[in-house]
Amino acid sequence: MRAFRTMFKTELKLSLRGMDMFIFAICMPVTVMVILGITYGDKPAFDGAEYTFLEQSFGAVATIAVCAGGVMGLPLVISDYRHKKILKRFKVTPTSPALILAVQIVIYALYSIASLILIYVTAVLFFAYQFSGSWLNFLGAYILVMLSIFSIGLLVGGVAPNTKTASVFASVLYFPMLIFSGATLPYEVMPKALQKAADILPLAQGIKLLKAASLGLPMYSVSVPVIVMVALAVICTGISVRFFKWE
Amino acid sequence: MEASIKAEGLSKSYGHVKAVEDLNISICRGEVFGLLGANGAGKSTALECILGAKKQDTGTVSVLGMNPQKDRKRLFERVGVQFQEANYQDKIRVAELCEVTASLYKTPLNYMDMLKQFGLSDKLKSYVSELSGGQRQRLFIVLALIPNPELVFLDELTTGLDARARRGVWKSLSDLKAKGLTIFLTSHFMDEVEALCDKIMILKNGKSIFYGTLQEAIESSPYTKLEDAYLWYTDGEDRVDESL
Repeated sequence: MRAFRTMFKTELKLSLRGMDMFIFAICMPVTVMVILGITYGDKPAFDGAEYTFLEQSFGAVATIAVCAGGVMGLPLVISDYRHKKILKRFKVTPTSPALILAVQIVIYALYSIASLILIYVTAVLFFAYQFSGSWLNFLGAYILVMLSIFSIGLLVGGVAPNTKTASVFASVLYFPMLIFSGATLPYEVMPKALQKAADILPLAQGIKLLKAASLGLPMYSVSVPVIVMVALAVICTGISVRFFKWE
Repeated sequence: MEASIKAEGLSKSYGHVKAVEDLNISICRGEVFGLLGANGAGKSTALECILGAKKQDTGTVSVLGMNPQKDRKRLFERVGVQFQEANYQDKIRVAELCEVTASLYKTPLNYMDMLKQFGLSDKLKSYVSELSGGQRQRLFIVLALIPNPELVFLDELTTGLDARARRGVWKSLSDLKAKGLTIFLTSHFMDEVEALCDKIMILKNGKSIFYGTLQEAIESSPYTKLEDAYLWYTDGEDRVDESL
C-alpha cells in the first residue's frame, strides 16, 4: 500500500505538471458546459419536454473527461512508460509493473470524477441545473462507462508496438468518439443518419444510459447499452491482459 | 563459498541470431564480477536472462539461491539493478524518483544519505532530465543501492562520468564490497575493471572467450596490461575467422 500511495502521489503530480489532462479532462468539459448553458439557457430539450436541453446534455458532457483519460491519456502513458523502459525497471523490483498501471487507472478515474463534480457545480450555480434522476443509477452507469472506455485505452496502450502507433490509435478513437457520440456535439441536434452511425460507438451507448439516469426517464432499452458496454470491457481487458507487452 | 549467482548452459537466440550461447557463470558472495565485450557481444542479453527480465532458451539460472522468474518479488527485495539506459518519467524530480523507488522495498536505505555520498544532495529538487549525464548516472547507481542489496547489477556504471566522478564511484563501490556486497557489472573501461573486479568474463558474439581472474587473463595472454590482453582476446578470434 505504501508503494501505491507514494506512486499515486508522484504520478498525479507528474500528470498535473504535464497539463494535457488538466486541459482535456477538466477545462474542456467545464467550457462545453458553459457554452451549452449560454447557448440554450433554460430552453426545453424539445417542444413540450419536461426537462431542459442543458439537463439532457449533462450526462453527455460528464463523459468528456472519461473519454480524454481513457482513450487519450491512458494509452499514451502506458506506451510511453513502456517505450522509456520504466515498466521494465519495475520488473526488477519487488513490486509488479501492474502497480503502475493501477495507479494510472485510478488517476484517470479521479480526473473523471473531478470533472463530473465541476460540471455539476457549474451547471447548478450558473444555469439553474437540476439533477432530477437517480444518482445511484447515474453513478452506476458512469462507472460502467469508465470501465469500458478505460478498457479500450488499456488495450491500445497494452498492445500498440510503439508510442507513435498508440498515439495514432488514440487520436482515431478519441476525436470521433468525442464529437460523434454526443459528448460535445449534442446527439439530439445530429441528423438522423449521423445518429445511426453514432449508435455503434460504445460511448454513445453509455451516454444514453447516463442521460436516462440523470433525467429520471424510464430506461426502456437499458439492456442493449449495458450488454454492449460490459462486453466491450470484458473483451478489451481480456485481450490487453493476454497480449500485454511490458517492453 | 556460497554462490550468489550461478548460471549454467545459458543460451538465448533472437530468431536465427544467437545472442548468448552456453554461458557458465558462478559468482561467490562478496565478489565483483565483470562481464566484458564489445557492443553487441551479448552482455545485456546475458544480464537480462540472469535477472529474469528475459527468458533464456536453455540453461538454468539461480540468483541468491532463487529462480529469478519464479521468485521475482522475494529476490528483488535483496537485489539492486541499474540498467544501461536510464528509465524515468518525464518531469520527475530527483527526490520523487528516490522516494518512489524506496517505497517499493520493505527495508530501504535512507536515500538522502546515499545522494550525499554520491554528491547529489543539492539536486533533490532538480528534474532528472536536467541532470548532466554523469549526475544521472550516479543517481541511477543510488537507485540501485536504495534497497540495501546483497547483490547489485550495474550495466556500464561509469559511462559518461568524468575522471573524478568515476574514482568517487569506485571508492563507494569498494567500500560496499568490503561490507560484503556482491557486484555484477558490465564495463568498457579496463581501468575500471582493474580497480574493481575479482573475476571477469569476456564475451564475443555471445560466447565466452575468457573466464577467470584478472591475473589469469593477463598471464594467459602475451601482454602485461589488461587492456592489451582484452584486445588480444577479443581480436584473436577475428584473425582466426579471417584465416578460415
